[in-house]
Amino acid sequence: MNSPGLLSFLVFLPLVGSGILLFSQKENARLHRVIAAIFSGLPFVVSLWMMSQFNSGVSGMQFVEKLPWISSFHIEYHLGIDGLSFPLLLLTTLLSFISIIASFSIDKRTKEYFFWFLLLETGMVGLFVALDFFLFYVFWEITLVPMYFLIGIWGGPKKEYAAIKFFLFTLFGSVFMLLAMLALYFASGTGLPGSERTFDLIRLAELASKGQLHLAGVSAMMVFLGLYLAFAIKIPAFPFHTWLPLAHVEAPTPVSVILAGVLLKMGIYGILRISYPILPEATRQFLPVLIVIATINIVYGAFCAMAQKDMKRMVAYSSVNHMGYCLLGMAAVMGNPNAAHAGLSGAILQMITHGLITGSLFLIVGVIYDRAHTRDIDAFGGLATKIPLFAGVMIIQAMASLGLPGLAGFVSEFLCFLGAFGGNFNGHHFSLFAGISVIGILVTAAFFLKMIKLVLLGEFNPKWEGKMPDLTIREMVTLFPLVALTIVLGVYPSLVLNLMDDAVGNIIRFVSGQF
Amino acid sequence: MDLKPLILLSPELFLSFLGLLLLVWEAFFPKTRRAFVIVSVMGLLAAVLYLAQMYISRALPWAGAFGVLPNPGTTGWIQYGVVLGMESVDSLSVFFKIVILLSVILVLCLSLDYHEFADAPMGTYASLLLFGTVGMMLLVGSVDFLMAVISLELVSIPSFILTGFMVHRGSSNEGAIKFFLVGTFSTALLLFGLSYYYGYFGSTGIEPLLQGIGNNGKPDLVFSLILIFILAGLGFKLAMVPFHMWAPDAYEGAPTPVTAFLSVAPKAAGIGFLLRILINHVDLNLTPVLAVLSALTMTVGNIGALHQTNVKRLMAYSSIAQVGYILAALTAAVVAVGDLGSQAVMVYTFLYVFMNLGVFAVLILVSNQTRSDEITTFAGLSKTSFGLAMALAVFLLSLTGIPPMAGFVGKFALFAALMKNTGLVWLGVVAVVNSVISLYYYFRIVREVFFCEPQEPARPLVFSPALICCVVATLAVTLALGVFPGPFLNWVRTVVGI
Repeated sequence: MNSPGLLSFLVFLPLVGSGILLFSQKENARLHRVIAAIFSGLPFVVSLWMMSQFNSGVSGMQFVEKLPWISSFHIEYHLGIDGLSFPLLLLTTLLSFISIIASFSIDKRTKEYFFWFLLLETGMVGLFVALDFFLFYVFWEITLVPMYFLIGIWGGPKKEYAAIKFFLFTLFGSVFMLLAMLALYFASGTGLPGSERTFDLIRLAELASKGQLHLAGVSAMMVFLGLYLAFAIKIPAFPFHTWLPLAHVEAPTPVSVILAGVLLKMGIYGILRISYPILPEATRQFLPVLIVIATINIVYGAFCAMAQKDMKRMVAYSSVNHMGYCLLGMAAVMGNPNAAHAGLSGAILQMITHGLITGSLFLIVGVIYDRAHTRDIDAFGGLATKIPLFAGVMIIQAMASLGLPGLAGFVSEFLCFLGAFGGNFNGHHFSLFAGISVIGILVTAAFFLKMIKLVLLGEFNPKWEGKMPDLTIREMVTLFPLVALTIVLGVYPSLVLNLMDDAVGNIIRFVSGQF
Repeated sequence: MDLKPLILLSPELFLSFLGLLLLVWEAFFPKTRRAFVIVSVMGLLAAVLYLAQMYISRALPWAGAFGVLPNPGTTGWIQYGVVLGMESVDSLSVFFKIVILLSVILVLCLSLDYHEFADAPMGTYASLLLFGTVGMMLLVGSVDFLMAVISLELVSIPSFILTGFMVHRGSSNEGAIKFFLVGTFSTALLLFGLSYYYGYFGSTGIEPLLQGIGNNGKPDLVFSLILIFILAGLGFKLAMVPFHMWAPDAYEGAPTPVTAFLSVAPKAAGIGFLLRILINHVDLNLTPVLAVLSALTMTVGNIGALHQTNVKRLMAYSSIAQVGYILAALTAAVVAVGDLGSQAVMVYTFLYVFMNLGVFAVLILVSNQTRSDEITTFAGLSKTSFGLAMALAVFLLSLTGIPPMAGFVGKFALFAALMKNTGLVWLGVVAVVNSVISLYYYFRIVREVFFCEPQEPARPLVFSPALICCVVATLAVTLALGVFPGPFLNWVRTVVGI
């Protein structure tokens, strides 16, 4: 199925919206909200429609667009989606739309706010559909700038520090990606006719699988590490996670939703799209390190979350823990084929479910914060009787996050563990690390249950008498779809798993070198 | 003596004549302040068009009548001829001449409404800039060191005077004196090196250097020493580390349009000349020296900029760092002729001119109202003028090298050149770490603009058509060449003759 220009339409629609916003009246906040809702809603509708057009039986790219862009470096404007990027594309358009709705409560400098937000959406959507490394890099960097402003202008008390720390950290990673990208470019050919160099990710993967990428041993490992640095900072994988709690706590609620829901996925996506297929040998050598990092992320992230008093920080650290599950599933890629398939599917599904669940948890914390202006976990109690709708939503999402069967989080985490238990590298089994990682699940359960207990159950703190109305219509509009999807994916995960079957198979074949 | 080839230098001759005319004109009609600037801009535009025409049609207007015919070499590279054995007119010099002319045009537009120039003798100012321009144009085409020294002085002396142009302001005088002392010292250094050069080769032409060999067919110690002296002499002019100490004081003291001028045009000219003499010198073992100097230059520049509170000083350090990047590209160009290195040098220099002048255009617009060059002058700009704030953000992002701004294309070309030569990968790593550092201080300005509140009840900015034109023009180039750099990159490739 091909609809020419459809992906470009998706990518640049938000950009058009932000352009229109620039020329709108400064004071008319209602107008800004309407424009933002339209230009983030339309991509969502279009991407939903694409779901009916997307052929999950086809291996390879769909909706491909290819145009020459910068001829002297053989750079092309190359877009396309497959089973790996399509679910993430859906997640991005959904969460962007929901975050824009959630942003309606913002009334300070709305024009700029929605301008940056729509620009951010262009960057995120573009990143997931770009198939040229140069284009990928451009979109990667485009997401940084709006995020800086969104945190720095509309954030909490330490917003400026959080904003520049976020920008410096991610830029530090991405410049190494730039060098690695150029190294791949020069390794892809001699530059003579017949052996043109390329930035095309598909072509690079093909060259690598045929052994025609002039990159081996130490230099391949250096390139891999350059890429890994960029992706690991974004994920964030231990020890590059320190920017995350700060950025999350300081960012306004809708921005936290995007940050956790989409931006963290860019790192995992980058590894799966670029590092795995293009540098299979280095990937294989790196797997033992990856499994250790995954374990640290899971256990350390969970314990850090447990120690937090601030609920937003707690959810932020739970993201570190949940991204660990992704890494755990991904590390299984060299195990027996079934385990590898389960692990990778779990990792991709975990990205989606984490986006839905943690996104909504940030919204939930935002709901409390809007009313009480504190996120201190000890400040509340007994809210369940006062605001039952809110309590219901919070319980469902917390349970989903700790991995209760029947909800989305369970399926993906289970698949990741299934993969990790079957994963091995040169005969060394990963089951020990998978076993250690189970501690993470326990701790996660502990702190989410603690949160439910302290906030929803127990004595009602009379301080909040009359100040705690239940969910407003706007909050319901933002939360209910996410809750519904959490339940649907928990019961019927094949909805997403079917989409990505072939893509997962492709990645495994690339990494293991078996064709 | 055959004077016919002088036709090749008609833009330079025309501009020198225009400069003299302005001086005479001002003596009789000193009140026509704006006319001086406007006439100079027209003259410079005419020169740009002439050179562009020369490039596009690959021939000189009326050249046949003078018996000067171009000699098209391999794809795109054009050699028109050498004037009196001193000046080569070829696509390389034409490229840099166009860059210089465009930057001087922008600087003149910046000067038109600058608050300190309210009652300055603008005729003198414009003619000094024109003489400096002629000097720079001659420098990039020099194929003889004597010519190079003379044209360097023709740039330097107007630069000293322009730096001290605010005669009643102490800091302006201070900057000029420092600049003058260091400038003459560097010329002496250069001349000292050249005296050895003459003794070594028996000629002041650059051909022996281009052939890259000494008397016995191999570079020896004396020859290396000569090159170091030449490099040091030119390094002062470029504010290359360790010869950069004059730059912050001179930049801070000079009137802002002159600071803008110093930060782009003479650097472009110096880089153009260095590219001409150093290209393809792989056998001279010059690469390690240049590589280390460029790494030092960008690092010292960036670290120096971190804690500056004066925008002009900050931009001085920033321009030191930017020259460091260009030198890194030059290092790559030294390793391999006609390759990505020289392309990167030209791409970066060209784009740097526009993004840097964009920052200065916004600075002048704002400081015309606030009368301050401190970084807080920008506080709350996004509230008083959102468009200007966005433009400034674009320029600073571009200087940092964030896509899709033009600066990224320059950085990309630079990193490509470095990554292609495996021996220079370390320099690439130094350069990328430096771009991350530079983000911090460029974004201190962005922080003021977007995060801080305006200091006093915000007054609207003084509207100035010339300055707005500058902002729009530089913004257009920064965005257009960032998103669609293809044709531009192809043009540069034809200049170096790839």
